[in-house]
Amino acid sequence: MTLQILVTTPDVALYNALGAAFHARYSNVTVKVSSQDYNTLVTNAPRLISGGDVPDLIRLASFGNLIKDNLVTDLDPYAAAYGWDKWPQSQFASTRVASNGTQRGTGALYGVGPGFGLTGVYYNKALAQQIGMTTPPATLAEFEQLLAKAKSAGLLPIMINGKDGGQVFPLQNLQMDAAGATQQIEDWIYDKPGATIDNSATVQAATTLQEWAKDGYFSSDVTSIDQTAAPSDFESGKGVFFPSGNWQAPGLDKAAPGKFGFFLFPPATAGGSFSAMTATDLLAIPTKSAHVAVAAAFLNFVQVDPQARQGTLTLGGVVPAGPADAAAPSATAGSVVDATVSSFQQLVKSNGLADFMANATASIEVNTLLPQTQLLMAAKTSPTAFATKVQSDYASALAH
Amino acid sequence: MTLAASQGTAVDGPTPKLVVGRQPRNRRRWKLIGLAWVAPALGVYGLFVLYPLTQTVRYSFYNWDGFGVATPAGFSNYRSIFSNPELFDSLVHAFVLIVFFTVLPVGLGLVAAAFMHDLVAGAFSTTARVVLFVPQILPLVGAGIAWTWMYSSDGLVNQVLRRIDLGSLARPWLGDFNTALPAVGVIGTWVALGFCTILLLSGTSKIDPALYEAARIDGAGRLREFFVITLPGLRREVVVCVTVTVIAALASFDVIYVSTSGGPGYQTMVPGVEIYRLTFLDQKVGQASALGVFLALLVLLVILPIQRLGHES
Repeated sequence: MTLQILVTTPDVALYNALGAAFHARYSNVTVKVSSQDYNTLVTNAPRLISGGDVPDLIRLASFGNLIKDNLVTDLDPYAAAYGWDKWPQSQFASTRVASNGTQRGTGALYGVGPGFGLTGVYYNKALAQQIGMTTPPATLAEFEQLLAKAKSAGLLPIMINGKDGGQVFPLQNLQMDAAGATQQIEDWIYDKPGATIDNSATVQAATTLQEWAKDGYFSSDVTSIDQTAAPSDFESGKGVFFPSGNWQAPGLDKAAPGKFGFFLFPPATAGGSFSAMTATDLLAIPTKSAHVAVAAAFLNFVQVDPQARQGTLTLGGVVPAGPADAAAPSATAGSVVDATVSSFQQLVKSNGLADFMANATASIEVNTLLPQTQLLMAAKTSPTAFATKVQSDYASALAH
Repeated sequence: MTLAASQGTAVDGPTPKLVVGRQPRNRRRWKLIGLAWVAPALGVYGLFVLYPLTQTVRYSFYNWDGFGVATPAGFSNYRSIFSNPELFDSLVHAFVLIVFFTVLPVGLGLVAAAFMHDLVAGAFSTTARVVLFVPQILPLVGAGIAWTWMYSSDGLVNQVLRRIDLGSLARPWLGDFNTALPAVGVIGTWVALGFCTILLLSGTSKIDPALYEAARIDGAGRLREFFVITLPGLRREVVVCVTVTVIAALASFDVIYVSTSGGPGYQTMVPGVEIYRLTFLDQKVGQASALGVFLALLVLLVILPIQRLGHES
């Protein structure tokens, strides 16, 4: 029999490898991987799994109305059968959906992925040395001192893709620092009834981001730098710091081994807990799939098989989670990938991982967070107006 | 109908022995045959244009995600076009784009056509036509990407400005809040100019050369010639140009989506991109349909008076 998997184009190599490993274990199953580019897949996912000839596994960005419309399979029976319910449960929180079809973090499990994204701050080692940075900043204040030093040294302090929303990462980090915990923003992202971020922590975060822009910590053409330009500009030596995710790590290691480092966004106070954003590369089983049980077996395989877990890191650049006692896959010592893996293990234990603000509603990123942070950085809106607007757009998106 | 009738007479003509009583039946037969010829095109048009149009109007009165249960929404989807500042602003931007998609290309096209009309046919005039028309045959998505490179901080536009000592004007054109909308508009001007020029140029060749000769004998200058003979003579072509480009401006999507996606801020957001996001991201098919229907009505409202202008003698 053939198991059909539909993923995004950059992930084809990873899933071909995972499929081959699965076939080697279970010779009666052949895995066929097909792909679409990210935007096409995201926009067409509901149509692809509601029609005929549906894939057995599909990569989703968010659930949207798929659960309300009963288009993806409840994985709880398989979680019990394979013992996923004995593993650290925080890794499944973002793919649990309550019976109302919208609130996440609670309810039945609808998606599982081979690996997790992780955000942090990359730095250019040579430039960091130039401004006297010997160890990664332990507090936000230390980080801001480094930014000021970089600016006065005539360097660009922060490289960011301001055209498509890279600035939302530091904004969320600043919010979590100001709130002192990830719970508040996580409730908001998971659409918990009554959750709000129109509060002092968000205003404080927005104020800091605006000040960074005013102080010239971002490039003057920040709103025209996109996610392709930012890493390549950073690789070519533009920018001391580059807040982004672990998906950039393999590229940076390849471009210049040993030239770049990675640290987690620092907490507000010394000794405070570190936090970062994470999201799983979730795969879901359409209810119309003809091989639901085999698809579930594949999901278990990618989480526990050592070879599959290694492939997830090496080919996908994302970190596998799985059982508490599973061995972490290995990366070249001293590489950026290695740094992201150990940071992830650290955060899983300290419960410092939160989902992305972008995942709160399907359109909050493009319709609100991106344009509003651009306005904020251009001093065309105030931090209080920003917090109010983000909350009101969120509320109206969830209204119906 | 006219087609069937004219065919009817043409065939009836050379059959003198025809019995008078049979004629109506014959004509009816020919009408049916005419209809049969039209039927495939009419069927396709109905299935792919008229039916979706009625469906869109229907959806606009519901809250629906495209798959699940739809609930009646009354006029709420239409009301929120005006209560939501971003949706309303996107409509305003579409009208600003008319300046760049219509006014500039038609204006410049008229000037270009008037000049090229006087050119002797040869290598230069052929090259000029080809250069002006090339944007029409390029896929807009590719053109949009090429323009974003040209507009970038180190792109061609800024390089040229720096070279001619106007470096102070250099900026990230699409990332600057003040220049983003005009910069996107210029892409539209570039696309529409060739279309307008070629259409207007073919129009000028229809104008009786004797009129120009008469004007010259009466002592008219080039400018007067243009306003008295060329412009009135091109009335129909101008109306076609304006119609096509106004629709392109109000319904713009591809160039904006590729070059700015509506940013920075909401500076270049247009209804086309809003409709796309409402449908595919928010899965708010009802709201998207309402905006689509409203946009279609706006287009008609703008186009109909222009069409009238073309029919006046």
